[in-house]
Amino acid sequence: MNRLRILSAIILTCLLTGCGRFGSKVAGQDGPQRIVCIGEAYNEMIYALGVQANLVGVDYSSTYPAEIKKLPTVGYHRALSAEGILSLKPTLIIDDNNIGPDNVVRQLQALHIPMKTFAAKNDSLEGTKALLREMGAFFHKEQRAEELCAQMDREMAAAAVAVKKYQTTPRVAVIHFGRASNTYLLVGNGGGGDASTAGKMVELAGGQMAIQKQGMQKMVSPEIIAKSNPQIILMTEYGFDRLGSAEQAKTLPGVAETDAAKNNRIYRVPEHDLMYFGPDTGNAIGRLAQLIHP
Amino acid sequence: MLTATDLVFRASGRMLIDHFSARFEPGRLHLIMGANGAGKSTLIKLLARLLQPGEGRILYDGTDVARWSERELAQRRAVLSQAVEVAFSIPVRELVMMGRYPHFGARPGTEDLHICDEVMQFFDVTDMADRSYGTLSGGEKQRVQFARVLAQIWRPLDGSIRHLFLDEPLTFLDIRHQIDFMEKVRAFAAQKDVLVIGVVHDLNLAARFADRLLLLHEGRILADGSTREVLTGDHLRTAFNVSPVLLTNPATGNTHLVFEGVNRNGNIPISTLAQEVTDEIV
Amino acid sequence: MSPSPGSPRRSDGWWLSLLLLLMVVTTVVSIRFGAMDFSAHDMAAAVWGKLSGRTDLPLDQRIFIQLRVPRAILCLLVGACLGVGGTLMQALFRNPIVEPGLVGTSSGAAFGAALFYVFGAMLKVSLGAWTLPLAACIGGVLSTYLVFVLAHTKSEGRSSIVRLLLTGLAINALCMSGIGFLSYVARDPAARSIIYWNLGTLSGADWNAVLVVGLATVLGLVPAVFFAKPLNALMIGEDEAVALGVNVRRLKWMVLAINVLMVAVATAFTGVISFVGLIVPHILRILRGPDNRFLILGSALLGGTLLSVADLIARVLLRPAELPIGIVTAVVGVPVFLSLLRSKEYLS
Repeated sequence: MNRLRILSAIILTCLLTGCGRFGSKVAGQDGPQRIVCIGEAYNEMIYALGVQANLVGVDYSSTYPAEIKKLPTVGYHRALSAEGILSLKPTLIIDDNNIGPDNVVRQLQALHIPMKTFAAKNDSLEGTKALLREMGAFFHKEQRAEELCAQMDREMAAAAVAVKKYQTTPRVAVIHFGRASNTYLLVGNGGGGDASTAGKMVELAGGQMAIQKQGMQKMVSPEIIAKSNPQIILMTEYGFDRLGSAEQAKTLPGVAETDAAKNNRIYRVPEHDLMYFGPDTGNAIGRLAQLIHP
Repeated sequence: MLTATDLVFRASGRMLIDHFSARFEPGRLHLIMGANGAGKSTLIKLLARLLQPGEGRILYDGTDVARWSERELAQRRAVLSQAVEVAFSIPVRELVMMGRYPHFGARPGTEDLHICDEVMQFFDVTDMADRSYGTLSGGEKQRVQFARVLAQIWRPLDGSIRHLFLDEPLTFLDIRHQIDFMEKVRAFAAQKDVLVIGVVHDLNLAARFADRLLLLHEGRILADGSTREVLTGDHLRTAFNVSPVLLTNPATGNTHLVFEGVNRNGNIPISTLAQEVTDEIV
Repeated sequence: MSPSPGSPRRSDGWWLSLLLLLMVVTTVVSIRFGAMDFSAHDMAAAVWGKLSGRTDLPLDQRIFIQLRVPRAILCLLVGACLGVGGTLMQALFRNPIVEPGLVGTSSGAAFGAALFYVFGAMLKVSLGAWTLPLAACIGGVLSTYLVFVLAHTKSEGRSSIVRLLLTGLAINALCMSGIGFLSYVARDPAARSIIYWNLGTLSGADWNAVLVVGLATVLGLVPAVFFAKPLNALMIGEDEAVALGVNVRRLKWMVLAINVLMVAVATAFTGVISFVGLIVPHILRILRGPDNRFLILGSALLGGTLLSVADLIARVLLRPAELPIGIVTAVVGVPVFLSLLRSKEYLS
């Protein structure tokens, strides 16, 4: 079984190398600050605040917005290396408190590298706004942060209005591809981490999560998804692209028997629109609502 | 002198050796015979102390064998097993050198090197010395094992008896090498400070070369003595359930056995050899 | 084994010197290059600064002393542990397709680590950086002990080693399924940590790790050298080894204890790194034959060298990111493993 993991990790690595994000040169960063930021939500917000000029490196999972892919990546956020990060000569490392291995964190601390985590958490709309304001204060972009918050409020309100018009609350299943575990996961409702975010988004968009369990469930039993019988299936982009098309998605265990498959309501959704709260969430919910309702 | 007293060995609830007692003198070739399951292999292993008896004692020259350490034992007794499986591909010379392991620490001395050359010559494997053991034929491998085992006790000890135990050593050899080996073993056994005890399957070879024969039956001694005393019709019928015809070569005095068939339901097969050739129909 | 007069073969000493030289060269290269490259001047300044007790060294030099050097040394030590472990296991089981992890050590260590990742937060007692290696070590020792207790038989015959192998396989399977289960129920960060730990990495190297693994290496290697000759005797079978004066039962226990010590401790700090214990003895046997008096020292040297090369590749290929080292050793190890299966070198 260990060897199977190694094999899948080899495949994973080939994909990593193929996607060309490694080895990108850092093009002429002149600012006094050289920031390595680890955390996809943080990075999206940095771009939204317009302070990306100081970024010299990001983690592998940070893929939005598209320009971020030009930056060198220091690896998967749970498999970092101190030397790798330090080779980019950062003056500051920002992380979302979800980095590993622990040894590496200790090494960075032992070398007295400045590290920063923000107190606010983007696990709710209020939390996201608080985080934006906190980051805005940190980067001296308070005004821009306020603009983003106001924009979020407006878009949320618009989305709420749109959602009220719908009569039904369709059952939605969210399928996410876990790169680390190399398997498709069914996102649950409730519990910590990403699971609750997608659940909240779906509910805000006027839907209900097809499965009510906590956390992410590995889709190893076809019965899990068949029994929950979602009317809509949303797939995050990495997993969807791996399969190729909605038709291919029906080959996942149990999917073919669902209403969603029968009515061809399997959709591709970008990860940043669904798996974490960010500055674009208001819009995202609006788009989501349109997608899941008839 | 090797003295075994009241040896008992049990395995899986069965009594394999049943109160065995015997004495073995140096300077003679002692051979143990018996049917399959009679306990020959077990007995040899007990005498060589590769196995511990459930009861009983073994004395080498008056000293209880249990008192010696493995290394001390290895310096005075060598064992040739039935089938030796060598796990990795070693050059023949290194394999033979293993026989000297009980005698040196980290690296072999010049004496050890000489002994290896001598035993390899004795068993006619010198031209294979640098070849890999795995590339040899079955018979060649067996001769290399002989060389190794004899290398272990090649040189006389300070007055102590050297013991050699052989557990069916002739399995892979062709007839020429079988006879050749038995001749060499008997010559080796004739030395005053050497004691050789072996298990040999072939009754004729046993008859020809043994100075003393022990016939085992169901873990006990059925007969013990010279060839003539042991290889009688009664003994062989009881032990092997076959009836032999005993022939003596008038020129050499050697005894040979011929078998006509297996005894079934009390019917003893009759030999049809002409009277002038036959010495004895039993 | 001393060469016979007139033999053109080079001596053990010649080969060991060559391996030592290779190891030194590899170490120098792996100390110099990586995500960051250090010039000779940087390195000298760093060492001099540290030795003269300065506390205000520039960051680059501090990185060199605190991260790069211990990592390079840890590579050598872990590589030595895994290489020697492989040689010892193959000698004991009289089979070239045997890895140190076969008696449950690696998978037990991995299971211990997985337990730590999943339940570690609940532990009231925490030893900081030592908790994970301790958990892994305990796991490795316990599972190996379990294998031995289950496989113990009074008979001294050949069957006891076969039984050991099979029991080891069973416990390995048990541990791996335990790890699988833990990965399944674990919260996301823990689950990913388990997976990456199972692929092995040297990124956590620091001077503490060097101290502990170094101690284990020395404690294991020194007795191992003394067991070389008895292990040679074991090549022709257990009965024959006994006849040659080897206390086989004691040998088995001691060799296994050394193996557990070295492999569990090494795995505890770096995660599971496969194939090193398989490849290193294989290469050395092709070069020089199966004499353990050479193999044990040789595999310590070659193991360290190979792991350093693998780590260098892991650090440089995708820089500034790092490849898990288990992937590199697998990419090299799998073809070697397959060629081993088809090799005519071995008899059984």
